[in-house]
Amino acid sequence: MKTIDADVVVIGGGSTGAGVVRDAAMRGYKTVLIERADLAQGTSGRFHGLLHSGGRYVVSDPESATECAEENVILKRIQADAIEATGGLFVTTSADSEDFADGYEEACVNARVPVEEISLREAFKREPLLDPGLKRAFAVEDGTVDGWKLVWGAARSAELYGATILTYHSVTKIDHKDGQVSAVYCLDRRTGETVRVGCSFVLSCAGPWGGEIAAMAGCHDVEVVPGAGIMIAMNHRLTQSVLNRCIYPADGDILVPAHPVCIIGTTDHKAGNADILPIPQDQVQQMLDAGEEMIPGFRKSRAIHAWAGARPLVKDSRVSAEDTRHMARGMQIIDHKERDGVSGFLTIAGGKLTTYRLMAERIVDAMCEQMGDKRECRTADEAVPGSTDHRLYTLDRRLNQVETETEAPSGQQIICECELVTRKKLLEVMDGLTDFNLDDVRRQVRLGMGPCQGGFCSSRAAGIAHELENVDAERASELLRNFLKNRWIGLWPILYGQQVRQTALDSWIFLGTLDLEHLPEPATEVI
Amino acid sequence: MRDVVVIGAGLAGLTAATRLMQQGKSVALVSKGIGGIQLGQGTIDFLGYTPDLIHDPIEGINQTVDDSHPYFHFSADDAASAAEWIRDLMGNDLLVGDGHKNYRLPTALGSLRPTALPQPSMVFGEPSGRKIVLVGFDRLKDFYPDLAAENLRRQTNPDGTPIKARAIHVDLEVREGEVDSSAVQFARALDSPDVQEELCRLVKPHLLDGEVVGFPAVLGLADTNAWKRISQRLDHDVFEVVIQPPSVPGMRLNERFTRLVKSGMKDPGAIHSIPDETGVLASRSRFILGGHVIGFDTDDDRVTSVTVASAGHPTTIQAKEFVLATGGFEAGSLAMDSHGTVSETLFDLPLHGVTDEMINGDYWGEQPLFRVGLKVDEQMRPLDTTGQAVYSNLRAAGGLIGGANRWREKSGDGIALLTGLRAADSIVSAGAIDSEEGSKK
Amino acid sequence: MSLLVETPSIDDETLRPLPVHDSAEIIDLEHLKIRGTLDACVKCTICETQCPVARVTPLFSGPKFVGPQAERFRGASSISVDHSIDYCSSCGTCTTVCPQGVKVAEINHHARTAMKQQQGIPLRDRLISRTTFMGAVMTPVAPIANWALRQDWIRVIVEKVIGIARNAPMPVAQRQTFDGWFKRHTPHPNSGTKGQVIFFHGCAGEYFEVETSIKSVELLEFLGYEVLNPKHGCCGLALQSNGLYDDARKYVSKLTADLRSVNRDAPIVTASGSCGGELRHEAHEILGMDDEALKDVSFRTWDICEFIMDLEERGELPERTRSFEATIPYHAPCQLKSTGMGMPAVNMMELVPGVTVIESEQPCCGIAGTYGLKKEKYEIAQAVGKPVFDFIKRVNPEIAACDTETCRWQLRTATGANVVHPIWLLHRAYGL
Repeated sequence: MKTIDADVVVIGGGSTGAGVVRDAAMRGYKTVLIERADLAQGTSGRFHGLLHSGGRYVVSDPESATECAEENVILKRIQADAIEATGGLFVTTSADSEDFADGYEEACVNARVPVEEISLREAFKREPLLDPGLKRAFAVEDGTVDGWKLVWGAARSAELYGATILTYHSVTKIDHKDGQVSAVYCLDRRTGETVRVGCSFVLSCAGPWGGEIAAMAGCHDVEVVPGAGIMIAMNHRLTQSVLNRCIYPADGDILVPAHPVCIIGTTDHKAGNADILPIPQDQVQQMLDAGEEMIPGFRKSRAIHAWAGARPLVKDSRVSAEDTRHMARGMQIIDHKERDGVSGFLTIAGGKLTTYRLMAERIVDAMCEQMGDKRECRTADEAVPGSTDHRLYTLDRRLNQVETETEAPSGQQIICECELVTRKKLLEVMDGLTDFNLDDVRRQVRLGMGPCQGGFCSSRAAGIAHELENVDAERASELLRNFLKNRWIGLWPILYGQQVRQTALDSWIFLGTLDLEHLPEPATEVI
Repeated sequence: MRDVVVIGAGLAGLTAATRLMQQGKSVALVSKGIGGIQLGQGTIDFLGYTPDLIHDPIEGINQTVDDSHPYFHFSADDAASAAEWIRDLMGNDLLVGDGHKNYRLPTALGSLRPTALPQPSMVFGEPSGRKIVLVGFDRLKDFYPDLAAENLRRQTNPDGTPIKARAIHVDLEVREGEVDSSAVQFARALDSPDVQEELCRLVKPHLLDGEVVGFPAVLGLADTNAWKRISQRLDHDVFEVVIQPPSVPGMRLNERFTRLVKSGMKDPGAIHSIPDETGVLASRSRFILGGHVIGFDTDDDRVTSVTVASAGHPTTIQAKEFVLATGGFEAGSLAMDSHGTVSETLFDLPLHGVTDEMINGDYWGEQPLFRVGLKVDEQMRPLDTTGQAVYSNLRAAGGLIGGANRWREKSGDGIALLTGLRAADSIVSAGAIDSEEGSKK
Repeated sequence: MSLLVETPSIDDETLRPLPVHDSAEIIDLEHLKIRGTLDACVKCTICETQCPVARVTPLFSGPKFVGPQAERFRGASSISVDHSIDYCSSCGTCTTVCPQGVKVAEINHHARTAMKQQQGIPLRDRLISRTTFMGAVMTPVAPIANWALRQDWIRVIVEKVIGIARNAPMPVAQRQTFDGWFKRHTPHPNSGTKGQVIFFHGCAGEYFEVETSIKSVELLEFLGYEVLNPKHGCCGLALQSNGLYDDARKYVSKLTADLRSVNRDAPIVTASGSCGGELRHEAHEILGMDDEALKDVSFRTWDICEFIMDLEERGELPERTRSFEATIPYHAPCQLKSTGMGMPAVNMMELVPGVTVIESEQPCCGIAGTYGLKKEKYEIAQAVGKPVFDFIKRVNPEIAACDTETCRWQLRTATGANVVHPIWLLHRAYGL
């Protein structure tokens, strides 16, 4: 058994966990983050990519709106590389009443959310595909954010401050002595080794899995309900700005341009189990109808992938509703000292990605207070690695790179052609990971996330992985098979139109030409 | 007026058009774009798996398929003569075999893929009794020889002996400064004897006695004997390994076949040289590439014309008979809309095999969607739900006929060939066209 | 001989630097419709295998790369990051061969225009796209102009100063214009027995390829049509392909009005494959023009070989009276192929007893309008055309056929063969 000593253990490698590990490490605590899969593989990687301007909440929750507007500015400063300043529009379509729009500008002003009503002519100039029956349009400071990049940026920053990030480690047990947390045990899923992390504080940021984690410390009946929603990525940007329906928040009211795709979201339904999130047909239809109302012809454009994410919603009668001193809006902290008599253990859930840094600040403040050790938060002041030049991400960045790095694009190998991933970039990512699978690589460089969904790049990526040490043919072949199998999970629920052609060609390549099906099976399961 | 309009320039369409032209019919071939032959593996499959491995693909076709499969309409004799027809038509520099044996040839991933008529440049890839060395090109991103060789070593020969395979790499620069050369760029470069020589110079020092040398399938495009020259120069047997598209072996077949239909030569032997030297031109086809068929006219139970979306004004082409060879879902000939409705996109013909659950959530499971297609009679006429031909003079061929899992079975080429030939033959033998009138200009 | 042709002057607009456009104004709905076709791309690589430019230079990364692939990364910024797309010759082969219906060439054309408009369009490109101007200037002084263009030292200077390749093919100025001939000619006795057609000669047909225009009219008259020749100018294709969209739109509108100034039911027949293509679809798909007048002209425009084969299909074409033994190498211009009507010239030429046609099976001769004239593209254009040149030299080094003027200049210069419009053969077969 391997042992590590730390001050603080953070459980969960989503945005909250990454924000917390960064914050704690920057305040000088020796911190270890434990994530059972890859960073941002859960909720933080399964959303629509919206960096809120606050405009969504000005009516329903003005404080939240103000927090979003402030964090929006901070994140653009410290995580520029993960954010594109697309701008956003709140639009009243021909299907919507103007009631909400009438008080909208005033509500924004009250919540200190920058807004400007623009003329319809200006709106169509910005977004020619908008519903021709458009009634109103308001411009806001929405942006889009790459959840994986955001989380990895925070994690890398934490590492620079001495934190340890353990991915593919499942927590198995949380020890406490005399009501005080003493250690967290976890299993390295790839080697099968058990790791003991000694610590005096545990912050559970496991999102919808928070209940299971609490139970491991003997704190039972923590009820975190996964609120599931689906998102659908369309093949190319139908709009360059974020589109929000200017109505009371509803399902399918947001269209987000993210990287070369645009994403429509989202629905809301209670899921029994955060590990099994279906993509129901009726919700797919609901999203397409919603898209059609903002952008006529939406149904005829090409959907390339769908996914479901689970918001962690705490439903716990034993949480004190009054004690909000340390909370950001929409987030809940459970103090297990108060609730279960286990000190040094907080469970955090809820919140939104836009305010992830603020949430981390509040949680770590709460921890400091409990430890009686006041230390200042500095996360808003310092940019994370990769963003220190403060250059915001732009859509054309990769195209620019492949066009200018060598005399012609053919001066380097472009492995994933849809997302313009070069061999060099791919190797960089593979080198930075141990025992990766191709989905881990995908989340960092968008391998296989374009229209062909891995049809042309995934066997190349498997071939390149095989050139590395420790990846034999059995593993490389299995990486390929798993990648295709996983892509399929998000493909089959939206398989219609042009994507059927693509799937047919991809099947032709893998099942027909390359006969991938008849490679020998692996002796052991590959994770 | 033409005798026959064939729609689609894949293997099925080209087959039907050629057979009709060989019978003296005047043909117009209309295709939206270049057909699918160059996306495939560049060999002719008949049947590989059902799901067990098939050893004799020709005998296998009707012993193993049920009555919903396109092969239901064909005998082993039909398959044998189709194999002979296509092999002779393409020439022995492009296709070999009699169809009674499945060659098992290495793919870029190292699986052993069964096929009935390979290109001669591929047959030394059968691993039994051989020591294989696979050659990778650093500047070609579609072939990773170490992965393929190691995967081959994970398998055994039919006699239980281990497969022997290893890999080497060479850095062949086919164009200055280019490190991302496509398979087609390699193939065009390797048409040149100088580049062939350069390749041999790079490879030769790495070879061990008795090894057969496997290259990605890029050994020449116009020069179909480039592999032989390389073999002679290396003094080793060589073979080509199929890689993902673009498929150079597929392009070789497609270009030769397309040229044949465009120029309409009677004597298939003549296609190996330029036609003016042989003087064997028959009536050529009217060949419209980039011609998207957008409509048709009927008279009672007959189709009378199709309309092509040519620029400015549409072009209407009248004919006595029509062959629809537009492919399956991969070609957009069959489509499913966002409400889950499947359709044949040109004539809106009834589809068979449509169920409520057409897509399987397991990637490795059966996908009923890809078995959806037309049901046809003996003459390849699409049938309606009551079993009647929808139009008396419309026939179908190839991938839009349903019932087969073409990619998994490795049956797509055989289906295209057999149905294309049958569609053509039934037009001729039904006497549907008065041949006197038909051949008159 | 008429020396009194109207000589237009280069307007100030031609020479003034172009303003940098805001992409928001360039990206209109029509453009977005074309962009939308990228959804049909399944990455199959067929366009890449057929692209004549990617085939000869690694500097061009191919139609799939710069088209449906790169297009997904464009549009959020008004600054174009494209470079390699400048090597696209706009031959249109990619769209023609695409089995999925992606408007690859059109997507590329828009992206290249955005790039060029930002970088500023060089004087050279603005000059060579004024085809009418060149013709009008050269015709009155044809012998001198032709002499000058044959002088190496002059061409070297032109290359250095303006950037037109010293060996690039140049049209040969004629001593009379087509209009000059038309006014004075006596129509064939059959003329008018079957109605009227409008002959769209294009600028090359007016000034340089006068003989083809004459033969076309003689043939149409022999076939029974009264030929109308309303005064008209250039279709703006060269302006369009050099990124001068606004100017090109003006030309198209003017031409449309001119062609509609006479019988509005008559077919419009042209012997210029490329100019016909401009009216039939490119003005719509590239320039985004959508007015009823253009649609009317577009609908009525026929390629002359297509027109004749339509007569043949309807059994209205008279038997040929003369035969001659010849094997004709034929190259179909890319722009003609992109209209989706096949190759009517092949079938038409073979109506002549004794004639055998061999088709080049090559996508492009390299010139692609004005592409092959440019100093920095010349070598590429020659390499693109080489298989066609070799083909002509092998099949018949004396005479070859091709439907578009600029292609014929390219092929004549490269092979020395007499490259004619296919109509010449039929003209001769009727003893005209």
